[in-house]
Amino acid sequence: MKNKLMLALLATALTATAHAQVKTEDAIKWRQSAYATMGWSMARIKANVEGTYNKDEVIKAANVIQAIANSGMGALYVPGSDKGKGWVDTRVKPELFTDGAKVGKIAGDFNQAANELAKVAATGDAGAVKNAFGKLGGTCKSCHDDYRNK
Amino acid sequence: MNSNNRTLVWDLPTRLFHWLLALAVIGLVVTGKVGGNLIDWHGRIGLVVAGLIVFRLVWGVLGSTYARFATFFPTPGRIAAYLRGEWRGLGHNPLGALSVFALIGVLTVQLLTGLVANDDIAFAGPLHDLVGRDFSNLATSWHRLAVNVLIVLVVLHLAAIMFYAHVKKDNLVKPMVRGWKEGGGEPARGGGLVALLVALALAAAAVYAASGAWLPEPPPPPPAVTTPAW
Repeated sequence: MKNKLMLALLATALTATAHAQVKTEDAIKWRQSAYATMGWSMARIKANVEGTYNKDEVIKAANVIQAIANSGMGALYVPGSDKGKGWVDTRVKPELFTDGAKVGKIAGDFNQAANELAKVAATGDAGAVKNAFGKLGGTCKSCHDDYRNK
Repeated sequence: MNSNNRTLVWDLPTRLFHWLLALAVIGLVVTGKVGGNLIDWHGRIGLVVAGLIVFRLVWGVLGSTYARFATFFPTPGRIAAYLRGEWRGLGHNPLGALSVFALIGVLTVQLLTGLVANDDIAFAGPLHDLVGRDFSNLATSWHRLAVNVLIVLVVLHLAAIMFYAHVKKDNLVKPMVRGWKEGGGEPARGGGLVALLVALALAAAAVYAASGAWLPEPPPPPPAVTTPAW
C-alpha cells in the first residue's frame, strides 16, 4: 500500500516535470508576446526592404522569426485557452483547437516560410528577401483569416 | 444625340468612373484575399477608390442629368411605381438606384475602415496613426466583415444585368460603354467642363487626404550610438 502510494506520487511528479503545466493566462500572454515580437521583426524587415537595405538588421529580424516559428508554439495552445486574457483578451477561434490537420498544415507552411526567409536573409539578396517576406506574410494571413475572431 | 433614336444617358466621366471602379474593386478583392506583398497594392488601389468615390459624390450633384442623385433618388413612391410597372424613365431605375447607393455606401465604409486598418502582419492603412490601436483593430474587423456585403452586392448587380439582358431584353452594358441608348427621351444635359474640373480637384484632394502625406513626419530616429549594440 505504502509502495503503491509512493509510486503514484512519483508518477505524478514525473508527469509534472515532463509537461510543465502551463497556466492558461501565461500561455496566452506568451503567445501574444511571441506574435508581438514577430510583428516587430516583420516591421523591421519591411522598413529595410522598402528603404535602405541593411543586411545585418534583416538577418537579426529574420532569425528572431525563425527561432519563434521553430519554438513549438503549439505547446502554448493548451486546452481551455481558447478563451481568456493574457495581455489582452485572446482572439483565437475555438476551431483552432479542433481543426488539427488544417492548423498543422498552416503551422508547417509558416515554419517553412520562416526558415526560407532566414535563409535568404543570410545571403543579403534584397529581392529574394522581399519575396520570402511576402510569402511569410501570406502564411500569417491564412491563420488570421481562419482562426482569429474578426 | 446626333440621330433621333439615340439618347445620351451616361456622360463620359460617369462611364469612366464606373469602369475604373469595377477594375479597382476586382483588384481590391483579389489583393485583399491573397495578401502577402500584394497588400501594398491593396493600399494603393484603395487610394484610387478614395478619389473615385469622392468624384462620384460630387458628380452626383454637378454631373449631367442621369448621373445626378436627385434624378434617380429611390423614394418609396418611385420604387412602388416601378414595382407596379409604371416607371418610364431613363438612367437608373428605382431598384437600380438602391443598388447604386448601397454600393457607394459599402465602398465608403470599406474606404474609411481600410484607411485606419492594420493586418497584424506588416501593413497598416495610411491614417492608422490617427486612431488608437484598439479602434484600428475594430475598424479592421468591420473591413473584413463588410467585404462580404460588397461581394453580395456585386453579385446582385451582375445578376440584375443578366436578368435585364435575358428576360427583359434590355442590354444595360452597351449604354454604360457607349453612353447612349436606343430610343427617344430627354438626353443628358449639364456636367460641363467646370463641373468636371471641380469634381476632379475634389477627388485629388481626397486622395491626398487619404494618403496621409499631410501627417507630420515621425520624429527622426535617435542616432544609433544611443542604443546599446546588443
